[in-house]
Amino acid sequence: MISIKGLSKVYTSGTQAVNKLALDIKQGEILALLGPNGAGKSSTIKILTTLSGFDDGEVTVAGFNVDVDPDKVRQSIGYVAQETGVDYFLTGRENLILQGHLYRMTSKDIHKRIDELSDYFSLSGHLDNLVSTYSGGMRRKLDIATALIHRPKILFLDEPTLGLDTQSRQSLWTYIRKLNEELGLTFLLTTHYLDEADKLAHRVAIIDKGEIKTIGKPDELKDQISGDVVSLHINQPKDKNSLTTSLHNNSFVKDSKWEDDKLHLYVSNGAAAIVKLIEDCHSENAEVNNVSFSRPTLDDVFIQYTGSSIESISDAGEEKWWEKWAGKGGGSWAKKWKEDDAAQSNESDSEKQWTEDEAAEWHKNKEWSDEDSAKWEDNKQWNQQESAAWHNKDKADIDKLSDETAQQSADSNQQWSEDENARWQQGQQKSEKEWPQENTNWPKDDSTSEQSQQYWDKK
Amino acid sequence: MLADTWYLFNKYVKISMRMPLWSLFSLIQPLLWLFIFGSLFKYFATLPGFPATSYINYFVPGVLIMTVLFGSSWAGVSLLREISAGTIDKMLVSPASRTAIVLSRVLHSAVQVVVQAMIVLVAAWIMGATTSYNPLYILLAMLVILLLGIAFASLSNGLAIILQREEPLVIMGNLMTLPLMFFSTAMVPEKFMPEWIHTIAIVNPIEYAVSAVRAALSPTPILSEFVTGFAVTLAFALGTLYWSITAFKATRD
Repeated sequence: MISIKGLSKVYTSGTQAVNKLALDIKQGEILALLGPNGAGKSSTIKILTTLSGFDDGEVTVAGFNVDVDPDKVRQSIGYVAQETGVDYFLTGRENLILQGHLYRMTSKDIHKRIDELSDYFSLSGHLDNLVSTYSGGMRRKLDIATALIHRPKILFLDEPTLGLDTQSRQSLWTYIRKLNEELGLTFLLTTHYLDEADKLAHRVAIIDKGEIKTIGKPDELKDQISGDVVSLHINQPKDKNSLTTSLHNNSFVKDSKWEDDKLHLYVSNGAAAIVKLIEDCHSENAEVNNVSFSRPTLDDVFIQYTGSSIESISDAGEEKWWEKWAGKGGGSWAKKWKEDDAAQSNESDSEKQWTEDEAAEWHKNKEWSDEDSAKWEDNKQWNQQESAAWHNKDKADIDKLSDETAQQSADSNQQWSEDENARWQQGQQKSEKEWPQENTNWPKDDSTSEQSQQYWDKK
Repeated sequence: MLADTWYLFNKYVKISMRMPLWSLFSLIQPLLWLFIFGSLFKYFATLPGFPATSYINYFVPGVLIMTVLFGSSWAGVSLLREISAGTIDKMLVSPASRTAIVLSRVLHSAVQVVVQAMIVLVAAWIMGATTSYNPLYILLAMLVILLLGIAFASLSNGLAIILQREEPLVIMGNLMTLPLMFFSTAMVPEKFMPEWIHTIAIVNPIEYAVSAVRAALSPTPILSEFVTGFAVTLAFALGTLYWSITAFKATRD
């Protein structure tokens, strides 16, 4: 569906937004571009959606070259931007109608389509209210509905759940899965939320500094990191190299990665390794402030490939809207302002540094002792159930556990919208009946609901 | 392209209709000028060689042009708002004509300005102005006002795209309108002007719009003067419109 070869883009400010990026996205796939702010996710999406140009490479979307046939690309894709693209002073219906007209649809077709979409997204009751009265979650749904009005084959979502509360996020994920499973819609979404990429995407591409570092199914990526992750927060490490070397003398240490004062160790049996690792640190005169122990997450994959945690980079600051807008243009004035802003943010960075120093000071007072180490086993954070499952190394158990948690969180969503929940519980059955049959233009696959069942069982 | 323009134009009209007070806000200034200048310069009309029977009769075309400037010179601010709100991107990912996006915005500003100018004209009549009541001549005057509205809305939209920020855009808007106002015969007849200001007025597009409106609204309409003014305003409007559309297209690619 999407093929990108050697894509490069440099902004006038000299920032290399995308660097020789290559990516292929299959039909019916949900692919997540996971990366921190400024990694080039939005730039890539803007190029794919014909919103901005690029300097080098070849990009084909839905079979059309974005350089040669931008209008045909536009006709086949839907785009949901980071900012809500719906007009606040129009009603939901007016937004949908306008969008339909811009896609050159007939009025009759638009109205038929609005009925379908408002049913699908449970917006019927609010369609004639001004968008300014909508909740954040509803606005997002309307935004997606407007992007779907012309029956696109691919939907691009740029940080779709940014700024949404947990329940709206979960509901949105549900819709994305439904659209993908029932209608075979291809999704390319960007996110800097690890759980979003992990739970939603079929494949995840980790992107940093405009390059794709690795790509694969979330589980495959995590499996690349064998065993467990033990992270040691060392108080002002003196000789990082010698410490790593001595820890590597333990045969169970497979790999290690420094992230500032934090040492991430990839070990075969974390629970058993911790005590030995701490002892080793002591004998190396390295003071351990803090220990954490986990199964590998996508963040560990991210650390593996970039040397820093996605969360620490994402705090670095939001991209300014005019920077995104400026693209290749923007001229020297835009550049000047950008530099001014950079100077200002450097100042605030040094402030941040100061508080980090303070935090380090505070941590120092909390020395790690043997007593603490003993207590560690019944630490509150450590979930007993999980621990048992973990020691058994029984993958099925863990999966079951996470299914239970998923069920629990699904239960808590009941309050959100009874109407919605009822719909969702009826599940595919209802929408199979209502949606694809009425609308023969959508790709229909009878086996989807069965497939989706299998898909979720697998999860 | 025309269909896209129409749909988008409708959208903007709908939004303005929902906030009528906000749209009328920019009327306050011209009405205030009408009142203040009308009173302040009242005795100008007694000076020998003053070209009108009363100052307010002379000033009405000027205040109509002022309405245009105050009404449309900040049109670009809302473009920047729309860009940051993401609605412009939504239009740009659709096959909608890029020309239509600019054109619909500009037309909306211009039509809004015409409505405001009509209100100001009625207010002037209430204050005792006795300009032409002939609907045909009023229509001709409004046509010039529409064109000047297109021109300044285009300038503002184009500048918004190039500057990318609200603050300098507002400064530029002020810088454009006020001096151009005073370097024309909007308030003071040519006769009472220093020579150098008169020289500047010759290349000031606003001067031509003022004289065209004045020619149309005077008790004895002067057609030749109207045609000259109209032609210059038309050329100015088309030029700025073309420039802003080009600027809009260029920044995106």
